[in-house]
Amino acid sequence: MKSWRLLPLRVDEPFYSMAIDEAILRLKAGGKSPNTLRFWRWQPSTVSLGYFQSVDREVDLEVAKKRGVAVVRRITGGGAVFHDQDGELTYSVVCGQNDVPRDIEKSFEAICEGLIRGFKRLGLDACFSPLNDISVGGKKISGSAQTRKWRCVLQHGTILIDPDIRLMFELLRVSPEKITDKFISSAYERVTSIKRELGEKPSFEEVKEAMRLGFEESFGVSFEEGELSSEEISLAKELIEKYASYEWLMKR
Amino acid sequence: MYYGEFKAPKGIIKVSLKLDGDSISEIRISGDFFMYPEEALDELEGRLVGVSADRESLLEALEKFYSETKVETPMIEPKHFVEAIMRSLRG
Repeated sequence: MKSWRLLPLRVDEPFYSMAIDEAILRLKAGGKSPNTLRFWRWQPSTVSLGYFQSVDREVDLEVAKKRGVAVVRRITGGGAVFHDQDGELTYSVVCGQNDVPRDIEKSFEAICEGLIRGFKRLGLDACFSPLNDISVGGKKISGSAQTRKWRCVLQHGTILIDPDIRLMFELLRVSPEKITDKFISSAYERVTSIKRELGEKPSFEEVKEAMRLGFEESFGVSFEEGELSSEEISLAKELIEKYASYEWLMKR
Repeated sequence: MYYGEFKAPKGIIKVSLKLDGDSISEIRISGDFFMYPEEALDELEGRLVGVSADRESLLEALEKFYSETKVETPMIEPKHFVEAIMRSLRG
């Protein structure tokens, strides 16, 4: 059975987290990092923007500043995500292009399958919702984003445990008059969370363990616990500057 | 500056542009779609400058871009970008 590296659950500031994902991808491409699965949390809470999104059109920067929420642009496409430091777990997978299907939708589905099995272990009947979401009862509980570079794949995404939905919709640009009780209740119709579906909030470690087992089954690999290499750490530290820069944030 | 949005099967394509006569002189495309490789969007914007802002010319430029660059945009097709551009012109 093939072996992948599993990193311990980390809590980092957002620019470093983004930099770690890119460092692992680059060093995987250089033959220096193994296929890797990791889970992490954001400190402080952060809005991550898709690579192609315009920050001004998607995020209310005033609200973000007032509420102490960071904003960072990802290297992956897709939409803006609110990562609640107390209610959200993020995963990322780095592997070779040949470890997942060539077809983009099928590759999203193949990686999401690990999460779907993880949600099932937690007692939730989750299913893949193309292109890049997982839903429970028709409501989104997880969304993913992916990039492919140098014959390698990085896919990362959100697992909604118990996020502050009202804050989420205050941060993500919708005209203020729409944030009425009616709008919030319609948001509740589209988005759900593990807490809401199960009636209780599992610990981050419990969610991580369920997902790890899910990935183990779906990938048919075993995970060996490992740490970031010193090379990964030093490359990630170099990359922080890019993610923290105004120029990168304002790219579109 | 013209601005418009179009909700495609995957994501919303947002376009702001300027015209010089009938042709595009500046264009910025953003949105929550995926494009592989990502750098191709800069190339697309570059190719659209100078193109006449009518449906036929835009579709031709978009289709040429897709076939020459081998770009992939899951669940998004050339016509969706064209639609977003046309909507920006309508205001």
